[in-house]
Amino acid sequence: MSSGEEIWGKLAQAVIDGEPEDAAELARQALDQGLDPLACINEGLTAGINRVGELFASGEYYLPDLIIGGEAMKAALAILEPAMVGKQGRDVLARVVLGTVKGDLHEIGKTLVGTMLAAGGFQVTDIGVDRSAADFVAAVKETDATLVGASALLTTTMPEQQKIIEALREAGLRDRVKVMVGGAPVTQGWATKIGADGHAEDAIAAVSLAKQLVAAQP
Amino acid sequence: MLEIKPIHPQFHLEVLPAAQLETIRSATLHILEHVGVHFPSERALRVFIEHKAQVDVESQIVRLSPELVTEALSHAPRSYVLSGRAGGTDLVLDGTNSYFGTDGCGTETVDLKTGERRPSCKEDVAQMARVADSLSSVAFYWPMVSARDYGRLAPLHELDASFNNTVKHVQTETVMGEKPARYAVRMGEVIAGDRETMRDRPPFSVLICTIAPLGQDPDGIEAGMVYAESGIPVGFMAMPNMGATAPATPAGALAIGNAEVVSAMVLMQLVAPGAPVFHSLLASVMDPRSADYVVGIPAKFLCNAAAVQMAHDWGVPTLAGAFGMGGTEPATWQLGRDSFYTALLVPLAGADIVTGGGMLEASTVLVPEQIIFDDEIYHMHRILAEGIDVSAETLALDVIAAVGPRGHFLTQEHTRRHVRSTWIPELTHPRRPLDGGPVPSIRSRARSRFESILAEHQPEPLPELARAELRVILDAAARELSS
Repeated sequence: MSSGEEIWGKLAQAVIDGEPEDAAELARQALDQGLDPLACINEGLTAGINRVGELFASGEYYLPDLIIGGEAMKAALAILEPAMVGKQGRDVLARVVLGTVKGDLHEIGKTLVGTMLAAGGFQVTDIGVDRSAADFVAAVKETDATLVGASALLTTTMPEQQKIIEALREAGLRDRVKVMVGGAPVTQGWATKIGADGHAEDAIAAVSLAKQLVAAQP
Repeated sequence: MLEIKPIHPQFHLEVLPAAQLETIRSATLHILEHVGVHFPSERALRVFIEHKAQVDVESQIVRLSPELVTEALSHAPRSYVLSGRAGGTDLVLDGTNSYFGTDGCGTETVDLKTGERRPSCKEDVAQMARVADSLSSVAFYWPMVSARDYGRLAPLHELDASFNNTVKHVQTETVMGEKPARYAVRMGEVIAGDRETMRDRPPFSVLICTIAPLGQDPDGIEAGMVYAESGIPVGFMAMPNMGATAPATPAGALAIGNAEVVSAMVLMQLVAPGAPVFHSLLASVMDPRSADYVVGIPAKFLCNAAAVQMAHDWGVPTLAGAFGMGGTEPATWQLGRDSFYTALLVPLAGADIVTGGGMLEASTVLVPEQIIFDDEIYHMHRILAEGIDVSAETLALDVIAAVGPRGHFLTQEHTRRHVRSTWIPELTHPRRPLDGGPVPSIRSRARSRFESILAEHQPEPLPELARAELRVILDAAARELSS
């Protein structure tokens, strides 16, 4: 048990310090020692990313610290999650599919939202930039997500957000998936008009919104 | 830990080319030799007569030859130290840094609690000293308002409130007259520990205003001689008002103001050769339509910067002017614009010490939270004057190659390291409340910061013995000066 606690602490610290390589190496060591990957995630990585979130909220951490912390968590998760096959999944508020819409290459805002959601207790599947409505639907099916975040930074790509909502409806998923839309030109008015469930002005507000949407789900 | 952050410019401004500077110097010497300056002080006139100046005793006009001026000023030190009473609070006037102080000496205060305008008092001086003590933009403290609750003894009480509430160097601009000056010197000895230490590490200095055009204030000049003899640094400030007390042209105002300041500095050197002195010239303009005192205009900004060069031309440090602009409200477009010019040009010109932040309505009204606004403008200029650091580390070629086209720099360790060193003004870039609530107005944010400093910052107190000695000196002054 004591070695478990020790490595959990180191995993948490690797996330807090933003050291992806260290985090991955610690995850491999944990598996070699036969530790429970779920416990490593909950007691190590989640504890670390929560601390990162607190430090960011208090103003001590800046965005690069936050994102590098998220990268470290991702690096360790990539090793620990496959080892959980057959066991129960880790405790998360909800699973989220996140991406930037088709024709739009803006990455940073979407990545920030992803990091903040991960720090806030969500399991985030970031499908990247320039992703079609079909890509979003496929990712929702694959991950069994209940939340979708679609980012658009251009007035010309904003209509893609509406296409994602329509595609979810056509796939019969709209009832159990909430959709959040974001991006500089996106407003609450636009979100309402296209039938999205919510809109947030920034990454911090996106976490509050996601929590509200999840709480409202049956 | 208390920290003073002076401005250390990496690029410089010269308003006056060398030839123009030389022309103003010649003009100044011409005025001193042929027009003269009014010195309404028997003692001053006696000193000038002893040194073969041309003195008309009846009109009290003194004329100085270029040789006398040059010889006298050759004794004035270019570099010296203004001391604070705690570690890290000395001002080293060696031409490499600009140290800013507070503004003064106002007569009204906008009360922090009631928001009403009222006569200023000693507690205002104390309260502002406590806040100034904590701000890294403030290197020395001018008592910001008059201790009007102490009548004729106000100036000495302003000094007392300052010494008791900040460890930083104090510069009085109100203790005038030979007798009050002697009490101030005794107070300085108490702070320094003894007379000799006070000479090496003067805990206070003095600014004395000349009277435009071409006159000296008797109380000012007689106090000045007392200070100079005691080793207390003493500066003279000319305030030519273009169109009223000076020619309506910047060059004329500079020449006439220069003559006022130089004549007083010469007297100090004749009385106490080698005495630390400084030069100060703040020009202003009369509004020719209303006779209003106009400060926020280019003619003034240029003169302020030119005056720095002129001081250094005489081989002495300068006290330049910044802030103290017009308007009755903080956080206005006008105040931001004018404060920018006054507060940026003079450090770029090489000003040694600069007054001062925290006042409105041309330095007459204290609005407590204004010092927070000026603190932020100051730091903006401090960073700006440091210029751009170009090095292998800051060029980041390896990082640029690692990210390549179409990536981003957010996850780079280099970004993480350097993003912290980018100074971002707090007042204009507040953190949004995490609860999603509205961001308070900029004025209430400034107020909150002011109030939290006032609640939390406790300056290192004077030793009890020193406090008691100051009280004894004030009591003695009350007995002698009130009668």
